[in-house]
Amino acid sequence: MSAILDGRVGDAAIEEPNYDGEFDAVVVGAGLAGSAAALTMADRGLEVLLIERGSSPGAKNVFGGVLYTPTIRELVDLEDAPLERYVAEKRFSMLSHDDETALSISPGEWRREPHNDSYTVLRGEFDEWFAEQAVDAGATLVTETTVTGLLREGREVVGVETDRPDGGVEAPYVVLAEGANSLVGEGANLKATESRENVAVAAKEVLEFPNGENVIEDRFRLFGDAGVSYHYFGEGAVGEAFGGGFIYTNGDTVSVGVAYRLEDAAANDQSPEETLNLFKSHPRVAPLLRDARTVEYSAKTIPEGGAESVPDLAHDGAVIVGDAAGLVLNNGVHLEGTNMAVESGYHAGRVIADANARGRTDADALEAYGRALEESFVVKNLERYAWLQETVEEDRELLFETMPTAFADAGAEYFRMDREPKAEHASRAKRAVVDALGGWRGLAKLALRYRKVVT
Amino acid sequence: MTWTIVVGVKQVPDDDEIGIDPDTGRLDRASAPAVMNPPDRDALEAALSIADEVDARVVAMTMGPPMATPVLEEAVAMGCDDAVLITDRAFAGSDTWPTSLTLARAAEALDADVVVCGEETTDSSTGQVPPGIAAHNGWAQLTYVEELEPDPEGGRLIATRDVEGGHERVAAELPVVVAVAYGEFEARPAGLHRKIYAENDFEPAQLTAEELGIADEVGLAVSPTAVGGMETVEPVERRGEVVDDVDGLVEPIRGVET
Ligand SMILES: Cc1cc2nc3c(=O)[nH]c(=O)nc-3n(C[C@H](O)[C@H](O)[C@H](O)COP(=O)(O)OP(=O)(O)OC[C@H]3O[C@@H](n4cnc5c(N)ncnc54)[C@H](O)[C@@H]3O)c2cc1C
Ligand SMILES: Cc1cc2nc3c(=O)[nH]c(=O)nc-3n(C[C@H](O)[C@H](O)[C@H](O)COP(=O)(O)OP(=O)(O)OC[C@H]3O[C@@H](n4cnc5c(N)ncnc54)[C@H](O)[C@@H]3O)c2cc1C
Repeated sequence: MSAILDGRVGDAAIEEPNYDGEFDAVVVGAGLAGSAAALTMADRGLEVLLIERGSSPGAKNVFGGVLYTPTIRELVDLEDAPLERYVAEKRFSMLSHDDETALSISPGEWRREPHNDSYTVLRGEFDEWFAEQAVDAGATLVTETTVTGLLREGREVVGVETDRPDGGVEAPYVVLAEGANSLVGEGANLKATESRENVAVAAKEVLEFPNGENVIEDRFRLFGDAGVSYHYFGEGAVGEAFGGGFIYTNGDTVSVGVAYRLEDAAANDQSPEETLNLFKSHPRVAPLLRDARTVEYSAKTIPEGGAESVPDLAHDGAVIVGDAAGLVLNNGVHLEGTNMAVESGYHAGRVIADANARGRTDADALEAYGRALEESFVVKNLERYAWLQETVEEDRELLFETMPTAFADAGAEYFRMDREPKAEHASRAKRAVVDALGGWRGLAKLALRYRKVVT
Repeated sequence: MTWTIVVGVKQVPDDDEIGIDPDTGRLDRASAPAVMNPPDRDALEAALSIADEVDARVVAMTMGPPMATPVLEEAVAMGCDDAVLITDRAFAGSDTWPTSLTLARAAEALDADVVVCGEETTDSSTGQVPPGIAAHNGWAQLTYVEELEPDPEGGRLIATRDVEGGHERVAAELPVVVAVAYGEFEARPAGLHRKIYAENDFEPAQLTAEELGIADEVGLAVSPTAVGGMETVEPVERRGEVVDDVDGLVEPIRGVET
């Protein structure tokens, strides 16, 4: 052997590398929750290994989406973050098969910093950037590596197994941040498989407009970095299924998607892609997307079991965060998971750093994470809407089919242009709604049942 | 005796990510991320499979800018024992002649018994570098290799080569330069601990033109390749005609103006 390489420092042949026990914590998944946990622990001086199955963090991420930033803003400087647009308008729209009735909200406050902490992002770019912040803080990221199981000693989780040769690595703490399709946590019996009625499927496309300048600004009435989030529900959005459609504006593209309950998708024998295509061709949606070209298509699941399906969050040597822990609020008015993912990752990281300082890895020591979440907006919000899912299921036909048509009919009647007096139109409009919704009694009951969505 | 096996790896733009600019219709190479030349993964696998059978040390080398370091890390992750970055401003503008001279000198400096290369690169694809290394050093060469059998007792490497119309089994005395056929050696996945080590804790050794004693023999000035000019060829209009039998074929062909 030549002198050039003799006894060189860094020569891999000198010793087969082994990192067992070198890291304090392994984080499974470099999504928002995982990177937040890794960053929080690295900031507190822990050695962290962040394992991601994609070729880069976020590469496999399907998401609408609006990133809600109240917690992330506390963790990193968002100045250089790849944000697309801030949300200047939210629009809620009821679609029957050919009618639309909509409500638009655009407070002046949203146009000013910090823009109500709501920004559209492309997760491929944002997650990569966020993981980089964790790496800058000292975490070690390894990509193209899938965690296949947990290493255990008795009940205690002592590391992870991956799909690579020589693929096990031991560390005192494991953070499960693998997202909604949480095969590792389920495989290790740390959480139950989510029942079908608590899982939504989502299909999403990113579209660009190859012809012309400023198409997005002009079509969605925007200046500068302003953007919109449009939410659609009713028969015209996702057929008879329980769920909705959305359009979000990015810098040069729009994200268009549908999300609805898996059970309905199975029963209706209609693929998410078909549902998305029907939504895109709705007469009130198609004009917004005219001449657009698809640059990306993806499909995924969203947990929506609410507070009741949140599993035990702390185990001996492991915690569960983000979507893997079912921390998503999806109720028609709100679709929020990003803020909860970051908040949960932050608390988990903080609690592990504390436990590490005391040399504790047992579930009792990590329970503080669950308690912190309970005191935060995360569990409070989930509990607040826990009732909604069931109630909506009972009223499905009424809400998604009858109501969109009734409101559209009422609108058509109220503003009808003919030679009858307006009083006639008004009372016919009123009747269209009242009859459809089960008379005045039905209407009053309905209002009572759903008042908590907005109050 | 421990064999030293040196593997040539090169960084190229990722073919899968080379988009077509929708507005101009041109290939957009600049924005494509850099990856290891895919045929070099076969070269690494071939080298490591020799090391599975004989006592050997496998060292990856690349001639390129410091930005090319990730291909060396990938090589170490896969199983190479060490890696060398051959880098120098003097190399700028080198064509295949000085490139293969540089790699030849590096192989010599590393006391290589076997040099393994890919069939060709996906960005320049001349396939000249491996034979060039052999020529500069006066070593044996084995190209289009589909199978390798080391013969440590005989100090030989036996190869099955793809030749027109079949295969050829030949033995070469060491030192030898091998270019493996693309697609014949499926690269092994990197082990977890090696991957973490390679990407985070490993630093390649470095060699300069000066250290290889070739500072005056590399670079644009000594590169014999000259591009005479570029011409866009207009497609020729094609005429098609169906004839009923073979005899009828001659006339229409004669009729074609050249
Ligand atoms: C279509 C759609 C639209 C949405 N819109 C919004 C919205 O507008 N606003 C909002 O706030 N929320 C929205 N959500 C919810 C939001 O996307 C999630 O709540 C959020 O991404 C959860 O973050 P996470 O880090 O827990 O999981 P994820 O973002 O899913 O990240 C998990 C990561 O783990 C990796 N991984 C998984 N398994 C393994 C393994 N075994 N080994 C290694 N790595 C692994 C994955 O590749 C991924 O990078 C939407 C979701 C969908 C599907
Ligand atoms: C006119 C001309 C100008 C050029 N100008 C430049 C220039 O300015 N800058 C520049 O960087 N390149 C330049 N090149 C390209 C470059 O110098 C060589 O052509 C190239 O490095 C090797 O040729 P190739 O890619 O065709 O390799 P091939 O012969 O197709 O490669 C076969 C195998 O050889 C090995 N190999 C090849 N190159 C390397 C390497 N660099 N390190 C380690 N192993 C290797 C690999 O195993 C590869 O699979 C130029 C080429 C030409 C023709």
